[in-house]
Amino acid sequence: MSYVLTCPNCGPREVTDFGFGGEVNPRPRSDPSERELGVYNYFRRNVAGVQREWWCHRSGCGAWFYAERDTRTNEVLLTELPEPAA
Amino acid sequence: MTRLPPQDGERVDREREVTFTFDGREVTGLEGDTIGSALFASGRRTFSRSFKYHRRRGLMCCAGQCPNCLVQVDGAPGVRACTEPVQEGMEVEHMNARPSLEFDAMRATDLFGGPFTPPGFYYKTFIRPRRLWPLYEKILRHAAGLGKVPKEQAEREWRTEYRRRHADILVVGGGAAGLSAAIAAAELGADVVLADEGPEPGGRLLAEGNHARARELTARARDLGVELLTSAPALGAFDGLVPVWERDTLHQVRAQRIVYATGAIEQPLLFPGNDLPGVMLSGGAVRLATLYGISPGSRAVVATVDDRGLEAAVALLARGVEVATVADLREHGNSDAMKQLMRQGVHVLRGATVLQAEGRSSLQRVTLGPPGAGEGGAGEHELTCDLLAVSGGSAPATSLLAQSGARTRYDERLGHFVLSEMPEGAHAAGEVAGSGSLFEAERSGAVAGAGAAHELGFGDDESRARVETERKTVLNSRDGMPEVAVPPAVTSSRRGKCFACLCEDVTAKDIHLSVEEGYDSIELSKRYTTTTMGPCQGRMCQLPAVRLMAEETGTSLADVGTTTARPPWHAVPMGALAGRPFEPAKRSSMHARHRELGANVLWAGDWRRAYDYGDPRAEALAVHETAGLIDVSTLGKLIVRGPDAGELLDRLYPNRFSNLAPGRIRYGVMASDAGRIMDDGTICRLDDDSFYVTTTSSGAGAVYQWFSWWLADWRLNVHLTDVTQGLSAVNLAGPRAREILASLTDLDCSAEGFAYLDGKRADVAGVPCLLLRIGFVGEVGYELHFPSAHGEHLWDALMEAGGPLGLRPFGLEPQRLLRLQKMHILVGQDTDSESTPFGAAMPWIVKLDKEQPFIGKWALEKAASGELETTLVGFRLADGHVPTEGAVVLPDGDGPVGQVTSARFSPQLGGVIGMAWVPVSLAKDGASVTISDEGRRLQAEVVTKPFYDPDGEVLRS
Amino acid sequence: MSYEFLTPAPTALARSPMERQALAAGARLEQRDGWNVAVAYDGEPPERGRCAATAGFADRSHLGKVELQGSHGLPLGQATRRDDAWWCPFTPEKALVLCEPADTATLLERLEGTFPTVVDLTSALAALTISGPLAREVFARFTAIDLRDSATPVEGFRPGSVGRTPGAILREAGESWLMLFGAALGSYMWTVVADAAESLGGGPVGVDALAVANA
Repeated sequence: MSYVLTCPNCGPREVTDFGFGGEVNPRPRSDPSERELGVYNYFRRNVAGVQREWWCHRSGCGAWFYAERDTRTNEVLLTELPEPAA
Repeated sequence: MTRLPPQDGERVDREREVTFTFDGREVTGLEGDTIGSALFASGRRTFSRSFKYHRRRGLMCCAGQCPNCLVQVDGAPGVRACTEPVQEGMEVEHMNARPSLEFDAMRATDLFGGPFTPPGFYYKTFIRPRRLWPLYEKILRHAAGLGKVPKEQAEREWRTEYRRRHADILVVGGGAAGLSAAIAAAELGADVVLADEGPEPGGRLLAEGNHARARELTARARDLGVELLTSAPALGAFDGLVPVWERDTLHQVRAQRIVYATGAIEQPLLFPGNDLPGVMLSGGAVRLATLYGISPGSRAVVATVDDRGLEAAVALLARGVEVATVADLREHGNSDAMKQLMRQGVHVLRGATVLQAEGRSSLQRVTLGPPGAGEGGAGEHELTCDLLAVSGGSAPATSLLAQSGARTRYDERLGHFVLSEMPEGAHAAGEVAGSGSLFEAERSGAVAGAGAAHELGFGDDESRARVETERKTVLNSRDGMPEVAVPPAVTSSRRGKCFACLCEDVTAKDIHLSVEEGYDSIELSKRYTTTTMGPCQGRMCQLPAVRLMAEETGTSLADVGTTTARPPWHAVPMGALAGRPFEPAKRSSMHARHRELGANVLWAGDWRRAYDYGDPRAEALAVHETAGLIDVSTLGKLIVRGPDAGELLDRLYPNRFSNLAPGRIRYGVMASDAGRIMDDGTICRLDDDSFYVTTTSSGAGAVYQWFSWWLADWRLNVHLTDVTQGLSAVNLAGPRAREILASLTDLDCSAEGFAYLDGKRADVAGVPCLLLRIGFVGEVGYELHFPSAHGEHLWDALMEAGGPLGLRPFGLEPQRLLRLQKMHILVGQDTDSESTPFGAAMPWIVKLDKEQPFIGKWALEKAASGELETTLVGFRLADGHVPTEGAVVLPDGDGPVGQVTSARFSPQLGGVIGMAWVPVSLAKDGASVTISDEGRRLQAEVVTKPFYDPDGEVLRS
Repeated sequence: MSYEFLTPAPTALARSPMERQALAAGARLEQRDGWNVAVAYDGEPPERGRCAATAGFADRSHLGKVELQGSHGLPLGQATRRDDAWWCPFTPEKALVLCEPADTATLLERLEGTFPTVVDLTSALAALTISGPLAREVFARFTAIDLRDSATPVEGFRPGSVGRTPGAILREAGESWLMLFGAALGSYMWTVVADAAESLGGGPVGVDALAVANA
C-alpha cells in the first residue's frame, strides 16, 4: 500500500503521511436506541467500491478532511475539507 | 582455451586480469567479466546443484534470468554469477552441494529417489510422528534450500539507504526501446529516470553486436539529462511507486508516467535432459560469445521455434563456433537468417525439434526429430555436440506491468501471453509490447516516451501530430511479424526427467501428478508444486507450466491463464530493503542532565525516559521525606482557546469544565462513545477563553487528533494548539517542595496563596512558568510547565536550590510506586479497552445530568443503569511476594474472575500493595481474595481508599 | 491574552535541542539574543565550501516561530516574505510566522492585535537549514516530499513527513531549504541529517558561514 493522497491544504503526499479515520459514520443526533448505538459504535458498511472516509494529515498541516476512495483499487477520487466553522 | 579471438564490442579488457577464488581455488578472469563468464572461460561447466535432486546445472541464460548460476559471494548467498561483475579478491562459493560441487552426496535422490520426490512429499511424508518434526526439519533444511546465511554476521559493513526520486517519467528497461523512450520524453522537456538491470544500457543491442548503436543512444540520453541507473533492477510496482535497487541504494521512484520497456524472456523447451550443463538458451550462448569473447561450445546444435534461434546460429558461426545442425520446428519460412544458413551450408532440419539430450556430467549427445516422437521413431537424428542452443520462443516480460494492473491474453499465433489492457499512466514499448526487431523497438520506444510526455503537457500540437503518425506506423508493422511455431508442452514422449521449473526441480511428471491429485488450476498447482515461486519468479517456467496444465486438463492456454509474480521481481538482499534505520526518539530538553546523573534510560512510548537514577526505592522515599524532582515533559499538552472552548470540553469529557474558574484545575477522564476510558489528565482554566489540557504521555498525539477530529465535525469556534514539545515540565514534590520553590520565585507559595488544584503563572529562576498544584505522587507538589528551551537552566536552578534541602531526582519507576500508594490509575495499565469510569471506580466523574450529548453519554447511561461485574480496587498482601502484573484473581478457587494490574513493594508502607479488578461483591474494605501467580497462591485484603494519605490531608497542606 | 510561559525569556539561557550534537561536531557556541547559537565549526572557508560544493546543514532552532489561527488570507503552498519574517500557511485558518529571535516579542504583540489565537511555538519546533547543490539529495534520503523546481519553487512551503515524523520544509533560496520539526526530536533529526549529508560529502556549518553563503 503506497498510494498518494492529496491533502486539500498541502497537495499530494504518500499515504503514510496520513492518519485514517475510517469511513464516515455519522453520530446519532438524539438519544439513540441500544441497537442504533451498537450499530454506530461497532458496525461499518465496509463496501467494495467508493466510500467516503475521514483522513488526517498528521505529518503535515494536521487537518482532518474527507476523501472518496475506491476500496478495491485505492483510487482516490476526491478530497475536501469539511465546511469551516461559521 | 575457450576464449575466442577479440570480438568487436566485447565487454572484457584482455589486457587486465582479475583474480578471485571459487571454492578456495584461484581463478583468473578479465576486467569486464562476470563471475559466470570468468568461470566458464576457466573451464567450469557445473555452476550449481539443483534444489531437490542435486543435479548438475550450468550456465543457461547468461542474463540473470534463470536460477542455474546462483552462488555465494563474500558470504552473501543467492548472487547470480552470470551478471555479477568480477572483482579482485572476491570469494565465491557454490551453493547447495555437499561435500563439493563435483561430488554431491545428495545426488542419490535423483538416481534412486523415486518415492521421495513427488510434489507435496514433505507434507505427505514427514507428518508422523509429530514429535520428530524438529529432526525432519533439520535434515530437510540441510538437503534443500539455496545457500546459507552465515550464522555469525560481523557488524554490518555496507551501508544501505533509501533515496526518494520524483520524476515525470520512469523508464523501466534500458534496451533499444527504453533508451529511445527516455530520449523522446527528455527531448520534449520531461524529467526522466531510466533503470536498467545490466551494467550498461543497451540490452539486446549489446548482446547482438550492435554496441555502437547502444552507446550512441546512451550518450544521447545522458546529454539530455536522463538519469541513467545501471545494474539497477526494478523490484515491483506498488501503486505507482517503483523501488529500484542499485547496489547499496534503494531508489524509491515516484513518477507520473511509467514506460515499461522490460523486453521479452527467451523460453526453454521441455525434453528429457533439458537441464544438462551444455544446454543453453540461444541468447545465452550468443551473449557468452559476443560480450565476453568466449566460445560457448566447440560443436553446437541449435533447436528453435522462431528466427531468434536462426539468428543465434548465424552469430555463433560468425564467431567461429561449429554449428552441426539446426532444427527449426517450422515447416516453412525463408527469413534472412535462414538464407544465410543455407548459403553457409548449415544442415537444417525443418519441422524438427530436440527430443532428448544426454551426457554424464555435461551434454554429449542430442536426438533431433519431429515433435512427439518416442524411442526410435522415424526421421530421428542423433548428433554428438557439447552445446545445444535452444530457443522456445520469447515471452513478453509482463510481470511488473501485471503488478501495476495490466492484463494479458493468450495469443494463439505467437504461442504466448500478450498485453491486452494497460493501467492508467503506464506505457509499454519494445518487445514487451510485441515489437520484434530492434528497429521497431526503437520506434515504439520513441512513440511511448513522447506519448507519456505529451500526457503530462510537454510538447506541442506539431509534436503530437508527428507521434500520432509514428504510432500508426508501429501498429501496422506488427502485422508483418515473423512466423513462430508453437511448441508442444513436452517435445517428446521419451523417458527421463523434463524440467518445467529449474528453481524448484519440478518435472513435467510432477505437474501431471498434481493434476491427478486434484490440483487442476494453475493457482493451485503453483502453490502445491511451487512452480514459478523460485528465484526466477516464473521467467523460465510460467509459460511451460501453463502449457503443461492446458495439456493435462484438456483446456486452452487462455482458459488456464497465468499467475501474477509477486514482488520482488528481482532477487534483492534484505539489507537493501531495510535501508537506514529511522527510529524517531523523542527526548526531553533535560535529557542530557539525566544521563549525567546516571539515569537508566528506557523507552516509554516514543520517548527516551529516565526510568530511575539507580535506586528507585530511595528516590521514592526522598519524595516522602524531603523532596523529589521528576521530568514529566512527556505529558501531552494542548491549548484549547476560543469562545466555545468550555463547550468543546463539556462535549468531549464526561465531567464538566465550562464552570471551572480561571486559575483552577480539574481532573478529567476521556471516554469513547462506547463509554470506554481513552485517556486522562488534568485541565487548568487559564482565562475565560482558554484551557490548558494535559494528557497521558502515550496518548498525546491521539488526544490532539481526537480533539481536532470532533472539532472538524462540530465546527465550534475553538482553536487547538499542541504544545507538547514546546513546554518542558517537572514535578517538584515533597515536604520541602514549597520551600525550594519559594526560594526561586516571587509567587506567594503559602498553602492559602497557592492552594491544591490552583494553576498560577510566575517566573521561576527567571523562567516564565505555568505552575499547577496537583498531587499525582501524593505529597505537596508543583508541576512547572515552561519553554523547553530553558530545560537545562531550570533543572539546574531547582537542583541547586533544593540540593542542600535534600532534593533528589526521581525516575518513572519510583513515580509508579508513589502513584500506586494513592491509587491513581494509569490508563492502559490499570484499565483496558473495556474499562468504563464506573468499573474503574470513578462514578463521580460522569455527569449524566449535563445538557450536552457528550461523547460516551448514551453508553454510560446504559452502563449506569446496568449491573457492574468487576471493578478496580486496591489490595494489600501479607506475604512479601510481589505478584506479577496480570496474575489472576480467584475468589473461591475456581476459574479466574479478575486480574492484578499493578503491584509494588512500598518501603513507605512496609508491605506489598497493588490494584486489581475483582467481582463487585468483593469490592469492600477487608474482603479477602486469592491471587494465583505462576502456581503460587496469595491471600490479599481488599482496600478501597488510597493506601497513603487516604483523606488527602498531606496533599492539601 | 498571551501565554507568556511559552516564550523563552531573556532572563534565562535558551538552548537548542541539538546543542549537544553540535558541540560534539566541534561547534563554537555564542550567546545571541538569549540563545546559545552554533555560529561556527571548522572555519568559514571550509563551511562556505560545503554550502557551495556539497551540502552544509546549520541549526537555526533559535528562530522565532509564532503560530496564528484565524483567517489569514495567505496563499497556501508558499511562504510570503513580509516585514522581515516568513509567513507560512498550513491551512486557510492556521499559519506559522518565522522571524529573527530579537523580533519575536514585537511580532507576538502585533499578531495578538490581529488574530484571535496566537501561540509562541519557538520552543516547540527545532529548525535546520540544509544548503548547497546536494541539499536536495540529502533530503531525498529521509523525506518523500517532492523538492524539484517544478514542484517546490523558491518560497515554496511544504508541510509533510521528514525522517518519519511530522515536519515542514521552506525553500528560502535557490539551494537552501529550512526544515522544521518537533523540538523533542532534535537529537534524532541531527543524526538523520548528519548521516545523510556526510555520506554525500557534506557536514555541519555555523550560522555565520550560512549567512555568507546565502547572501
